[in-house]
Amino acid sequence: MDYLLIESGGPAEGPGAVRFIADATALAGQGASVALVLIQNGVAGAVAGTMTGLEDFVGRGGQLWIDEFSVRQRALDRGDLISGARVTGMGDLADALLTPGVRAVWH
Amino acid sequence: MTATVPHSDVLLKVLGAPHRTELITSLFRLTEALLERDATVQIWACGDATGLTRASLGMAKPADVTDRARTFPSTAALARDLIRKNDGRLRWYVCRFCARDRGHAEQIDEVKTRPAARFWEHVTAADQMIVMGVC
Repeated sequence: MDYLLIESGGPAEGPGAVRFIADATALAGQGASVALVLIQNGVAGAVAGTMTGLEDFVGRGGQLWIDEFSVRQRALDRGDLISGARVTGMGDLADALLTPGVRAVWH
Repeated sequence: MTATVPHSDVLLKVLGAPHRTELITSLFRLTEALLERDATVQIWACGDATGLTRASLGMAKPADVTDRARTFPSTAALARDLIRKNDGRLRWYVCRFCARDRGHAEQIDEVKTRPAARFWEHVTAADQMIVMGVC
């Protein structure tokens, strides 16, 4: 993995989240291995039809991870999430963070 | 020049008010997950996050008037227990300037206050770093 990008704000935080996802998509489009993790209010963006750009990110080979704890906190169902999303735990994020050479950003 | 700061696998720099979002929950969750993987972790608390470990919090949150039989730990207690339980693998540093600026100068014994100008030592002592939150 080259990049670990963590989005905690989601659509409620304004255009910053969309721009962050656009950056992730651009990196994936250049052939980098990118995991985009949606956490806290960020998981709201993974509800189908809520935030633009995530389908494009997945389509370009990006890994879309959705924090399970945050999903449960908001009473979301896996069926609510866009296809291609993988529900993960904090352990997965920790493992990725400990991967040598990975560049991590929390947004 | 980094002799005062032991090496760590990950540096988590945390900023932001404790109750505005779930940021602090995420901080504790991520810290625990890293420690469960035998990683060494340092936390640098800056801005309002310096209040997480201020001594005036005590070890328990104020009583819940709807359920006085239960007690809940303060963030200072959570931090203290994590630090003690992990035998030197978690170090918690507090920005001295931010703490003093917010009236948080009195901190629990388990954390160390450091001058902001020494933050670079913590960065160079860590293999990985993320910044969580904003002031």
